Amino acid sequence: MSEFVEQLALCVERGKVNRESLYPPDLHGQDGTDELAKQALEQGLKPDTILEGCILGMDRIGAKFSENKAFVPELLMAAKAMTAAMTHLKPFFQSGAVKRKGTFVIGTVAGDLHDIGKNLVAMVVEGGGFEVIDLGTNVTTAKFLASIEEHPGCSVGMSALLTTTMVNMEGTIKAIKEKYPETLVLVGGAPVTKQYADKIGADGYSPDPQGAVAILNKKVA
Amino acid sequence: MTSFERLQNRMVGNPVDRPPNFDIMMQFATRHIDKPLRDYYLDHRVLVQANMAMLNDFQLDIVQAISDPYREAFDLGLEVSFPEQSLPISTSPLLREPSDLARLTTVDPVNGRRMHDRLEAIRLFREKVGGCTPIMGWVEGALAEAADLRGVSTLMLDLFERPDWVIELLEFCCEQAILFARAQMAAGADIIGLGDAVASQVSPAWYRLYALPYERRIFQAVKNSGGIARLHICGDTTLILHEMATSGADIVDIDWMVDYQKAAEISDNDGPAICGNFDPVKIMLQGSPEQVREAVINCLSIGGDKNLSAAGCEIPINTPYSNLHAQTAALSEYYSMA
Ligand code: B12
Repeated sequence: MSEFVEQLALCVERGKVNRESLYPPDLHGQDGTDELAKQALEQGLKPDTILEGCILGMDRIGAKFSENKAFVPELLMAAKAMTAAMTHLKPFFQSGAVKRKGTFVIGTVAGDLHDIGKNLVAMVVEGGGFEVIDLGTNVTTAKFLASIEEHPGCSVGMSALLTTTMVNMEGTIKAIKEKYPETLVLVGGAPVTKQYADKIGADGYSPDPQGAVAILNKKVA
Repeated sequence: MTSFERLQNRMVGNPVDRPPNFDIMMQFATRHIDKPLRDYYLDHRVLVQANMAMLNDFQLDIVQAISDPYREAFDLGLEVSFPEQSLPISTSPLLREPSDLARLTTVDPVNGRRMHDRLEAIRLFREKVGGCTPIMGWVEGALAEAADLRGVSTLMLDLFERPDWVIELLEFCCEQAILFARAQMAAGADIIGLGDAVASQVSPAWYRLYALPYERRIFQAVKNSGGIARLHICGDTTLILHEMATSGADIVDIDWMVDYQKAAEISDNDGPAICGNFDPVKIMLQGSPEQVREAVINCLSIGGDKNLSAAGCEIPINTPYSNLHAQTAALSEYYSMA
């Protein structure tokens, strides 16, 4: 693996955004993901290598998270560093030189305000090469439908953290499938299980963001 | 034995006729008296009526003015909507920009619409059951309040990028919490619960830096007013149990993800009583009465002689009555076994 990918992955993992960022203190004054990505493109490296570094960094911090060695803030910070690198890829996405794998619309369902998990999924899916439309929290069925209308062919992710709001997903899935039967719908959130996902007609379930990316990748493969 | 005597005895490890039932009841209590959820959040008379029903119908040993995280935040200016049949909804943060903090000033709870409503609830509890049943008031911990005002994810990034600003915000939230806690004590509360939900999502080092010092200060104010302090952090707190024990809390709630036996270690040698910790969803909502009975008795038998009975967090709205009755029965049964 190239030295560049390794260096970018490290900055993503440690949440080092740019030269000015105060965090992490031991990398103060050094280049962050922002500068690294910019320089890489100037030096003619393939845009894909940037994606590669981002994914590697997110994978590493994700693994630490699973082992209780990193926590939600560290994961969010890594995701922010990743986003800073990905910003430089925007023109390539727009011109089609680098293809986004697809569009992923995500939101926390109606009545539910828990958004930490949803945000993590959104960021990791973006890192996985998808365009992400984040509808926020308390998202009604109508809002999901409107967003699908706006982004033909997108996949949808729904997050629910409450047993009382989890049940809202069933109606939303039904409505989506009626109008846009081709739409792939993923569900997740702490109380949601594979069995429940199957029962309410979701196409996929994952207990973590990496799983969500894997399912989306399968769809586009 | 009154519920109050039961609590006082139990907290020092003295014999009781049955261990106190300290379940957190909000949505379930509202459904039980067949009122819209909105009324529970906005009208203290409904909240009190729902709690009285919990005493009579499920033998709880506490009445509680807890309702949702947004009492203080609403009075500080956060936009919150109250749909008739769902939880309060806040969708845009009050502190959009860090500079918005300069505009915030603390609110005297007497003048705050929602904080005042909670004070009224406590007064009404006092009239109805004062001295017999412990009355619990509630505040948001400084870190939780900061997250309510700023948005959790944004606040988490602020902690990396502008830690000094966050400290300023935490100081503000702490001051507001102390004002609110004192006002609730003056209105007649016996216990002040402090909710710090997001504290379970940060590293232990950050818990020590950004949550614990403020919990200590708020609890000190509660103690100075003669109150009992109860710490409630939902989620997996395994890594911070011993620190939580130094917050000054007399009662530490333990959510279901934590090994209750391990939690019991913090009760040793004058440590706080622990309260918990069976799974509110898998056991209380979805389990059978027999599973509830087993879980209740198991917790009591490993939690030490001061521990209080409760699910790890709020009792879900659609919990079957038979499961709550199974908990009540198990508490009496436990006593007769002893
Ligand atoms: C932080 C928190 C809060 C914060 C939320 C802040 C925010 N903006 O998110 C506040 C204080 C506001 C809050 C409020 C409430 N909460 Co709360 N909260 C929690 C807590 C402690 C952590 C949740 C969390 O963020 N976990 C960390 C993230 C990373 O995990 P996650 O969300 O599960 O996401 C992961 C996976 O599930 C998956 N995933 C998530 N979404 C998706 C989507 C897709 C498509 C896929 C594939 C995967 C996926 O990937 C993520 C990363 O691995 C939990 C306890 C717990 N530990 O679960 C309670 C908890 C969720 N809350 C609970 C309750 C009851 C409430 C309140 C009703 C309390 C009240 N009466 O006021 C309110 C409800 C407010 C509302 N309307 O939504 C209960 C829910 C019980 C239930 N199952 O019904 C819990 C479980 C606590 C408990 N033990 O009872 N809460």
